[in-house]
Amino acid sequence: MAIITNSTAAFFRRSSDQMAGIRREAERLQEQISTGDRLTASSDDPVAASRLRSLSRADRLASVNAESAAAAKGNLQLADSTLQTIADDFARARELTVQAASDTLSNSQRALIGAELEQLHQSLLAAANAAGTDGNPLFAGQAAGPAYTTDAAGNAVYQGTASAGQIELGEGISVTRGVTGPEIFDFSQNGSPTNMLAFIKGLADALQGGPADPAADARAALGGFDEGLEALTRAQTVIGVRVAWIETLQDRQVQTSEARAQETADTGGVDFASTIAELQQTLVVLEASQAGFARMGQLSLFNSI
Amino acid sequence: MATDLLLIGKTGALAARAALDVTGQNIANANNEDYNRRSVDLAEVAATGGIGRSGDARLAGVRIDGIVRTSSAFLQAEVRRTGSDSARANTQVQALEGAERAVETSGIYPALVEFEAGLARLAADPLSTPLRTQVVENARNLTDTFGLAMEGLNSSAAGLRLGAQDGVARINQLTAGLAQTNTNLGRTQEGTVSRAALLDQRDALLSDLASLTGIHTEFDAFGRVTVRLRDNGGHVVITGDTAQTLGSAFNADGTLAITLGTGPVILETGSVAGQAQALERIASLRTGLDAIANQLIATTNSAQASGVDPAGNPGAPLFSGTGAAGIGLALTSGAGLATAPAGSPAGSRDTGNLAALQSALANGGPTAAMDGLIFGLSSEISGRSITRDALQSIADSAASSLANETAVDLDSEAANLVRFQQAFQASGRVIQVASDIFDTLLAIR
Repeated sequence: MAIITNSTAAFFRRSSDQMAGIRREAERLQEQISTGDRLTASSDDPVAASRLRSLSRADRLASVNAESAAAAKGNLQLADSTLQTIADDFARARELTVQAASDTLSNSQRALIGAELEQLHQSLLAAANAAGTDGNPLFAGQAAGPAYTTDAAGNAVYQGTASAGQIELGEGISVTRGVTGPEIFDFSQNGSPTNMLAFIKGLADALQGGPADPAADARAALGGFDEGLEALTRAQTVIGVRVAWIETLQDRQVQTSEARAQETADTGGVDFASTIAELQQTLVVLEASQAGFARMGQLSLFNSI
Repeated sequence: MATDLLLIGKTGALAARAALDVTGQNIANANNEDYNRRSVDLAEVAATGGIGRSGDARLAGVRIDGIVRTSSAFLQAEVRRTGSDSARANTQVQALEGAERAVETSGIYPALVEFEAGLARLAADPLSTPLRTQVVENARNLTDTFGLAMEGLNSSAAGLRLGAQDGVARINQLTAGLAQTNTNLGRTQEGTVSRAALLDQRDALLSDLASLTGIHTEFDAFGRVTVRLRDNGGHVVITGDTAQTLGSAFNADGTLAITLGTGPVILETGSVAGQAQALERIASLRTGLDAIANQLIATTNSAQASGVDPAGNPGAPLFSGTGAAGIGLALTSGAGLATAPAGSPAGSRDTGNLAALQSALANGGPTAAMDGLIFGLSSEISGRSITRDALQSIADSAASSLANETAVDLDSEAANLVRFQQAFQASGRVIQVASDIFDTLLAIR
């Protein structure tokens, strides 16, 4: 007697499976809404999960790059203000030299000027060895020690490296960290190379006695000040351009970071409107099937016999 | 003739009682998964007369011919087949999800990114002691995450191995039980209650066996089953009253090796097959993690070797050991990080060597390889989940069809209850009539 019947046990099992399925779905939607993340495991959407991983990596590295950019900018601005001090000192030295070049001064007065120039030399040396925000020398290139040291005769000797080195700021863009001592101080006086520290030192020594006619030396040196000031101005311009470039990069970093945040939200975020609507729909279906099950469960022929 | 009528009424009442008993038995077993609906097969009892005396036929009521057990060999085979497939897919996906959790929650990927970020930050101020210490701590954290992932995978694999071993042991118990059932089936008669119970037992054992391993079944006239495995060679595990015992062992890489006699058995479906396949995937995941760890060790250490540290000494290896389980930290202090290229003086802030390491890590380095590993695993799970769901719904619908065919429906049993009660009452009325007729005859004066 092979009659197809409606097995009672199968009915209960089917109903409970169906309701459990809807309930699972509702819980999944609820979890999405409460966490704000569409994915709980990579296997929910492997491609999106992989994209999210690379976005989070880019975000992390970009935050370091932003810090590096800010630090590099800080150091360059510090170098700029230090250069301004150096320029002021240099201008003062020029004034003094013009005075010393005058024949109306006596040699002892010139010696006093020479002593002041000696002080300016010390001040320039201190400025040349200035440290940046991170405690490292500003003008020593990639060396850790001071940029200039003085030898036994009191002459400043450059100790740093030839180049300032570059810092990577993301997306393959690098910026030169700063300027080196020689880039600021070296210039040529009447075609022969010298540097600002040696130049001032030489002038101070000359005015404090030594040569027969210090005034002539002072006059001869006046041309060198123009060359030196030009080297300083050039260095300041270079720094200004680099700061502007870093600012452009920082703007770009902000923009790409916004774009990444948008993409992260699009890829892994929950669209609340549609998810809540979907949850509501699932709950309605769940309630309806529970009500249906309760009604069906009460139907039994045994109640009627 | 009145005695005949009394007899007919009696047999009718007995048959109706038996049918009521069977209905009651069906109702009692409505929730028994292994129970197949029974019904009573009735046969008329009548004696025909001899040649030329056919009018002498004597009617003697009804007798119970046998208890019929509703069954459907086709649907049952279908339920076993789809159940095996679904059990394999389910076990495999569950195990792979466990492996995915182990790899993802260990946080190797974020730790790799953090290591890269530490290096990038060091590039801004290469001689800073805090930043150097930070890089070394990042590296230490990285080695820990590799250890965590391996531990997670190992514990997943250990659980699977335990499950597989238990599964093979249960297969052996079930085949032994089936062989015993085969023996008993050969000793029972068609149409008896005990035979129906034995057949229920046989089908229950077969369905348990099918959830562990895929099987092909053949039945002889007595209902005895011959079972072949769905595997590489269709090995016979049960014929008549003998059952073959499967052996289980584990290879060096932790994968499962099942043997029958001396030959290897590679199961195709069933939960044990799912466990075996998941174990193989975990072994390949471990190989993948080892490769990533080795790549990290090689890239970092060779970069260290081609640079000098702040003291001007050649860089010493940062990582020690091999493989994800063996990776360790060789450098204990940040002062040993070789950020400057070889030949740089002591105290150099040149980041040439650090930049080379950063670019080696960024372009096709361990971070990308780790992303690839997670992506491969997660897309496999995603694909297999779809197959799993499909197989599950196929198995559910097969089970549902079988239940509709063979299981108990309380509504029809309720109707049967009324029907057989009426039959019983009618037979009682027949006995009443026979008695009345007898009384009528006695009352003739």
